[in-house]
Amino acid sequence: MNDLIPYIPSSIRDSLASLSFFSAEISLILGFLLVILADLFFSKRYPQLSFILALLTLLLVAYQSSGFLKIDSTPMFGGMIIMDHLSILFKLLFCLASILFVLFIRFNRAFQNHDKGFGDMYAILLAVHLGLNLMAMSANLLMVYLSLEMVSLGSYLMVGYLSTGQRQTEAAMKYALFGAVCSAIMLYGMSLLYGFTGTLYLNDPAFLSGLNSVPVMASGLALIMVFIGIAFKLSLVPLHFWSPDVYEGAPTPVTAFLSTAPKIAGFAVLVKFLEIFYDPGSKTLSSSMLDLNYILAFLAILSMLLGNFVAIWQNNVKRMLAYSSIGHTGFMLMALFIFSTSGFKAIIFYMAIYVIMNMAAFMIVDEIEEKTGKQNIDEYKGLGKQNSLLMISLLIILISLTGLPPTVGFTAKFLVFSSALEAYNLSGSAILLIMIMIASLSTVVSLFYYFKVPLNAFLRESPDPVKLSIRSAKVYMGIFLAFLLLLLIVFPSMLEQLI
Amino acid sequence: MNLLSILIFLPIAAALLILVLPSGFQQRFKYISLGVSMIQFVLSVFIYTHFNNTAAGINREEQFQLIEKLPWIRLDLGSIGKLEIDYFLGIDGLSMPFLMLSALVMFVASLASWEIKTNLKAYFSLFLLLNTAVMGVFCALDFFLFYIFYELMLLPLYFLIGMWGGARREYAAIKFFLYTLFGSVFMLLVIIGLYFSVLNPATGNHTFNMVLMMDPGNYINGSVFSAMAGQSILGISARLLAFIVLFIAFAIKVPIVPLHTWLPDAHVEAPTPVSIILAGLLLKVGGYGILRICFSIFPDAAIQSAWWIGLIGLISIIYGAMNALAQTDLKRLIAYSSISHMGFVLLGIASVTTEGLSGAMLQMISHGALSAMLFFLVGMIYNRVHDREISNFRGLAELMPQFTFFVMIAFFASLGLPGFSAFMAEAFSLIGAFTSEDVNGLLPRWMAIGASVGILLSAAYFLWTLQRMFFGQVRLKGGDTWKDQLVDVNTREKFALVPLAVLALLLGIFPSLLFDKMNASVLALVQLITG
Repeated sequence: MNDLIPYIPSSIRDSLASLSFFSAEISLILGFLLVILADLFFSKRYPQLSFILALLTLLLVAYQSSGFLKIDSTPMFGGMIIMDHLSILFKLLFCLASILFVLFIRFNRAFQNHDKGFGDMYAILLAVHLGLNLMAMSANLLMVYLSLEMVSLGSYLMVGYLSTGQRQTEAAMKYALFGAVCSAIMLYGMSLLYGFTGTLYLNDPAFLSGLNSVPVMASGLALIMVFIGIAFKLSLVPLHFWSPDVYEGAPTPVTAFLSTAPKIAGFAVLVKFLEIFYDPGSKTLSSSMLDLNYILAFLAILSMLLGNFVAIWQNNVKRMLAYSSIGHTGFMLMALFIFSTSGFKAIIFYMAIYVIMNMAAFMIVDEIEEKTGKQNIDEYKGLGKQNSLLMISLLIILISLTGLPPTVGFTAKFLVFSSALEAYNLSGSAILLIMIMIASLSTVVSLFYYFKVPLNAFLRESPDPVKLSIRSAKVYMGIFLAFLLLLLIVFPSMLEQLI
Repeated sequence: MNLLSILIFLPIAAALLILVLPSGFQQRFKYISLGVSMIQFVLSVFIYTHFNNTAAGINREEQFQLIEKLPWIRLDLGSIGKLEIDYFLGIDGLSMPFLMLSALVMFVASLASWEIKTNLKAYFSLFLLLNTAVMGVFCALDFFLFYIFYELMLLPLYFLIGMWGGARREYAAIKFFLYTLFGSVFMLLVIIGLYFSVLNPATGNHTFNMVLMMDPGNYINGSVFSAMAGQSILGISARLLAFIVLFIAFAIKVPIVPLHTWLPDAHVEAPTPVSIILAGLLLKVGGYGILRICFSIFPDAAIQSAWWIGLIGLISIIYGAMNALAQTDLKRLIAYSSISHMGFVLLGIASVTTEGLSGAMLQMISHGALSAMLFFLVGMIYNRVHDREISNFRGLAELMPQFTFFVMIAFFASLGLPGFSAFMAEAFSLIGAFTSEDVNGLLPRWMAIGASVGILLSAAYFLWTLQRMFFGQVRLKGGDTWKDQLVDVNTREKFALVPLAVLALLLGIFPSLLFDKMNASVLALVQLITG
């Protein structure tokens, strides 16, 4: 014990120095406490106070994070977390998703009319957001695990928050059980990694050399166990089983959030892990011990195939979007084969667009469900004639999800394809080419199911047409986001300059 | 604002106008659409008369006319350099004729849109959006921009067929969409491969400029599509594979046998104006793409594949004609005849001779006008009695003499009667295919001979249809009610038919009106391909 005493002043100094870089997270913590207090004491008099506080906190966090945009890689708290340009970009993406989510909850009827109130939801969100931020910056196995669990626990609560029916309870239970098993496996994998390498720091040279010194079977097993934990967050095939049920069962705003922010954080962690294995010379994943290219490509192919093909047979809109998001995850994975600015640019661009598209799609779907109770695609018959503005916005969003011009979804898709082809160019591995071709094919397949919505809405007639009022904040947001998708293809520099 | 930009974005502006106008004005929307295409036509005639015949274009950027070039997307990709996407428009002898054709066909399609009675706001907005996309495709010289316009055509067409089509419209619309998208997603991969390979010598950036892609000197040494490097993908030469992928993407549009099955369905289900645009313009986008992109960027692979392309053309001619003979639905018959006639385009292109390429170009323009005319005529009958089974009509000549007159012009022109444009076009394509064996040895003579059988077959189905439907005693399935409904051509319809007939006649007698304008470009293209 006495041996450690000389280190205390330096580690305190380090922590204090780190605090200045930690301002965004401190704001989140303060915001979290404020929202709880506000909800406890003022929820009767000012019911929307917690909403306003949460929104202001998130805006502040976004502002603070963007201040560090030009930062070089900075280790903090003794190297537990590292802040760099990429992690700031991820943090900004979380802010985008969270802000849209907060607005979504504010205008969701089920949440607003909930007996237990909605104030806790904002508190949970801020806590989850803190976890997401830490995930994006973590550089230590323990930190990865802690932040991942922080996000997971919050997500379980979110899914079960309303627990209005059997289905939601089932979804929350399924999610919690499946998540617990995955994180246990991940923790076991991490303990193995620690045993092999003697270090918890991912960027420690001892980590890679330690891994290389044990047999491939052992190190591969440990890595795969860790990847299982990450793949659960990403809902990659074959760890996707929870997602369709959870997406369908959870309240729609939560589904929209779960399909974006935690997924993006999962990618952030995946990048941290893959970073160890990138060969700086060839800029691709080195395959000295375990052919990571092969495993990743295989996962991407499976996710794209399963996500897109199973989506064809879905009739519930939310379930269809859930499967399609599995396909999107597989697609995004294609940008990770190369360790270069272009790869990261592509994935950040894609994710930003993906957040906008997904949030907008769920907002409009939620609005339709709230006003008419329609959840199935074949019930959308004839909606387009009566509610043209709303359905055209949804159409634009779906076109963007498919990745066709004239929406920015095309630009995003294009960038991911570019980085995947660059990776193929550099490595020449055939599996990458197969993956790229399957990605192209799945675009065609995705058109087929996404277009079932406009097919019903515009091409078919309904015996009893429903007219929705578009005077609703959610609709305005959906329309605005759809318009943004059109605008960004003409002016991609608006987004690109940030990256 | 450049003339080409006006040509492209005028319809969008009109579409926005239609969207904001209250529904009370919906009877006026068709005049807006008609007015737009008339302005476009005037502009394109202006472009035609001021066109410099000697500037070849093709692979020389400075020889393109009405160039407009604005930087659009500049993305820094770190290690591999900078990405350069331009808003780059320009025309040469290959694209200029299509601008006129587009304006004319859009004019006729607008006149045919009088038959649309429901949901006019949506219809004309989509119609004008399609107009923009078509014009954009023919003007774009940046591959990225080209692709955006190319894909943009699909959406409005899907809804135009799907919302205003016939009984099986859902099936036809999605089939058309999936078919075309299937071709174009792989095209996207080739585009990406190309920009990786090509550098703009002036700026050192990776570029999407199609003109720069045609110069082997701009390719990075050892890149995928560099001709020197000779890289292969999955055992096939990378350049050949890219050529095949691009060719298939465009060939689906043309369409070639066996990738044609979307066409009869789409035509039969589509409303008349959409059929007119499909046959008159969309198929030409395929042919134009093959010339502008496949053959110009990958000339070496084009020479390698010429024999096969010629064979595909021949098969399309014969198979399309045979199928047309067997049809009982008039619209389906014309749809198949389109496949047959577009086969001549492929045959002419595959010959890579000046005659063949000129013939192919003329055939596209001529078929654009004639197929628009044919579908318009079918639409006239269908509108009157909602039937178009050949066997349900007989002796129409007695009831509708003027209509029969126009049908005879369209039929005779289409089957290649001398004096009409199709004769000139098919003759030149055949001459090209016939001389190819001596000039460059690409196509054997029997292909030209086989193709001439196609002309014979087309005479057979057109004349037989004429005899069955128009001659003989009046006998109609619908009896006297039909007799009252089958009124002769009205003024609006004459306005649509006369310009098309005049164009077919004019190009048949003075093909030099077109040949003069595109000769320099065709020569440059032949030079580029055969090296």
